[in-house]
Amino acid sequence: MKLKKYTPTLVAAAIATVLLAGFSATTISAEGSAPALAPLGDPPIPPDNLQTPEKIELGKLLFFDPRIGGDASTGCSTCHEPDQGWAWAEDFSRGYPGTVHWRNSQTIINSAYFPRQFWAGSASSNEKQAKSAAKGGVAGNGEDDIMEARLALIPEYRKRFKEVFGTEWPLIFDVWHAISAFERSLVQKDTPVDKYLQGDKSALSEEAVRGKALFEGKAGCIQCHNGALTSDTDYHNVGVPPNIRWEEDGLAQITFRFEQYAKGQTEEGYRSAKSDWGFYYRSKNKWDRGKFRTAPLRYIAYTAPYMHNGVFYTLEEVIDFYDRGGFDEEGRTTAFPENKSPLIKPLGLSDEEKADLIAFLEAYSGEEIMIEKPELPEYAPLFTKAELEAAQEAK
Amino acid sequence: MGVRVKTGRTVLAATIGLGVALGVQAGEYPDLGPLPQLKIDAAKAELGKRLFFDRRISGDAGISCADCHKPENGYAHPDALSPGYPGNGHFRNSASLVNTAHKNVWNWDGRIGTNLNDMTREMLTEDYIMNMDMRIMQERAKQDPVYVKMFKDAGYGEPSNGSVRKAIPEYLKTLTSKNAPFDSGKLSPAAKKGQALFEGKAGCIQCHNGPMLTDLKAYNTGVPENFDVFLDPMNHQAFLAFVMFQGVPDYMNMKRDPGYYNVTLEQQDMGSFVTPSLRELKYTAPYMHNGMIGTLAEVVEFYNGGGGKDSRKSDKLKALNLSAEEKQDLVAFLESLSGDPLTGPGYVWSEEYPSEYPVIENWRQVRN
Ligand code: HEC
Ligand code: HEC
Repeated sequence: MKLKKYTPTLVAAAIATVLLAGFSATTISAEGSAPALAPLGDPPIPPDNLQTPEKIELGKLLFFDPRIGGDASTGCSTCHEPDQGWAWAEDFSRGYPGTVHWRNSQTIINSAYFPRQFWAGSASSNEKQAKSAAKGGVAGNGEDDIMEARLALIPEYRKRFKEVFGTEWPLIFDVWHAISAFERSLVQKDTPVDKYLQGDKSALSEEAVRGKALFEGKAGCIQCHNGALTSDTDYHNVGVPPNIRWEEDGLAQITFRFEQYAKGQTEEGYRSAKSDWGFYYRSKNKWDRGKFRTAPLRYIAYTAPYMHNGVFYTLEEVIDFYDRGGFDEEGRTTAFPENKSPLIKPLGLSDEEKADLIAFLEAYSGEEIMIEKPELPEYAPLFTKAELEAAQEAK
Repeated sequence: MGVRVKTGRTVLAATIGLGVALGVQAGEYPDLGPLPQLKIDAAKAELGKRLFFDRRISGDAGISCADCHKPENGYAHPDALSPGYPGNGHFRNSASLVNTAHKNVWNWDGRIGTNLNDMTREMLTEDYIMNMDMRIMQERAKQDPVYVKMFKDAGYGEPSNGSVRKAIPEYLKTLTSKNAPFDSGKLSPAAKKGQALFEGKAGCIQCHNGPMLTDLKAYNTGVPENFDVFLDPMNHQAFLAFVMFQGVPDYMNMKRDPGYYNVTLEQQDMGSFVTPSLRELKYTAPYMHNGMIGTLAEVVEFYNGGGGKDSRKSDKLKALNLSAEEKQDLVAFLESLSGDPLTGPGYVWSEEYPSEYPVIENWRQVRN
């Protein structure tokens, strides 16, 4: 039975983040005061979900298993395709059959480092993210009971869950733990930039080194894309325009309205929304409309298109967008210009400078992370005919 | 305390057993008579009809109500076990929907006793039936201009999930027996003899009574389990999801359909099912909650032997010692309860559904 509930608004957490967002917007205006770029260390591992090779291996199976989903067609890897940067190479992610998603699919690579998941940070851990994606109506559309029932009828899973979690039957709760353990193994921390920051000055081309200087200076990217994560993990409105597809695609219009409901919009908000309100859905403050979590810049060589709604297909388009001060080539910008970050201003970059910046951005991606897709274990009946006959006799 | 309850029930059962032994008294049970008329709102029913045949009201837009409740099969399904939502099987026979609007207890185990609105919600949202997030269903309807007009014409205003759950039951009211020989008084001599047996020697009327030929109460008749529920993991997983949700203890080891036990969680109800209607059986084979009996002749044979094997079997069932002719008469009577097939355009939506959702033009200007 489906029991759909509105996403709870984590009021306290939201308020705390809002305060933080307000703080950073006003104080980190002077270039140079942001945390310096740094090489990436190991991801944090939550004490209640420690990594073991067996758990990671189980998580890998589950990540690729479409039976973790409503009609056994759409698992995690369906929208996080290793060949497509562990994301999906269209503006909106593909959705559950019969739907399209409304946001760009995010890469799994390095998701382990983020204290909050999703474009607007609505999940507070990988575990919670996995659960909410597997169950969401335009994502996995799965229900706990049917997914748990399926796993119980797959002997290989019974064996592995017992080994890893010690339960007699696989529990859906542990599915999210195993998948998260697998995700925490999908990290990349040896990019040319990491090597450079660790002292290997030959790791970056001259172009990229110039790009780094622009990134930290004239272009001001570092004000938000900083530290080891290349993200302040905070929420900003940088002016990304709404996706035109909502004006041209019936299926996308359906999902758009559904999401207003699902994210707990007011009646008036549902009626009037014509763009993704982003962080607002969590905080319910009008000054948060159109704010999204600063996206990490790692692995982006493989994860086009870009932004929460995939409106830019190349890094060139992204740089031009910032160079114009947060406008696309047709002059479109956020539906909430009043919330646009004052940090976003026209940059006056030359073509050469743009090329340098891109060279630096590209150096934040190492080798493409490929993986052999696992062979999925098969169903088998739980009882023999003889056992059923005996039960029938005993009635 | 436990002992007293048990004794009480034994006494009750003994009295009933005695009743059967003495023969069923005329007038003791509600008359079989014809069904009352239902008032139907044509515009709402027409909308419900379009919804009933529309696959887009399921999660992956892959299955409609009519895929499991097929017009040519009396709005049931010819497989012993119903199909399931894509990626799943099912563990019960699809129930006929003809005359379902005359009931107030639904499903083989009687787990819904409120109204067809709730029943429709159950079908739409159950993960192995249609797995629909009704908020998406509503937005799909709002994206289809035909629905926008039909909801408006039906007086519902803009499409909403609430009005979907009103319109479908209105359509279900149109699915009622038409021209059954029993209702029009055109019984063959064999069927007449069969009716007398039904109400007398065979004792069927103890449970199958009233215009729908059901008392809507639950009994254990000892129908054998359909092992395919457990041997096919697609079916078994749906079964497990179901009993898990119903709160049945130790469900992983369960090797039988608990039936009414789902509702009460009382051991005495294990394996009981609600007496089904006996109308339109001509179209709805195979029979019983799990499709284990293929023909009406076999059903009569089943009762002639006093039902199946179960320690909790109803005391109302006893070996009947019917002659071959009596058995045929009983079948003839059962057949007289079926009318015309409800397969014409008045019942079946035959226009095509759009293959894509049209875009709402000037989307930025109009309100959602
Ligand atoms: C995947 C197959 C399937 C689909 C799709 C389906 N049903 Fe059912 N339906 C069943 C089965 C099986 C039962 C019996 C369930 C039980 O007893 O547990 C049933 C029972 C019912 C009943 C109860 C009948 C009675 O008299 O007890 C009603 C009413 C009903 N369905 C209506 C609908 C409607 C309306 C839809 C579409 C919104 C629908 N069904 C879609 C399989 C299906
Ligand atoms: C004790 C109550 C009781 C009596 C007496 C009884 N039935 Fe039933 N009948 C039921 C129940 C309960 C079911 C459903 C059982 C199941 O699905 O497991 C049923 C099912 C049926 C079905 C299958 C209907 C369908 O849609 O699948 C037929 C036909 C039927 N009975 C005919 C008869 C006839 C004929 C008699 C008399 C010989 C009779 N019954 C006596 C309770 C009774």
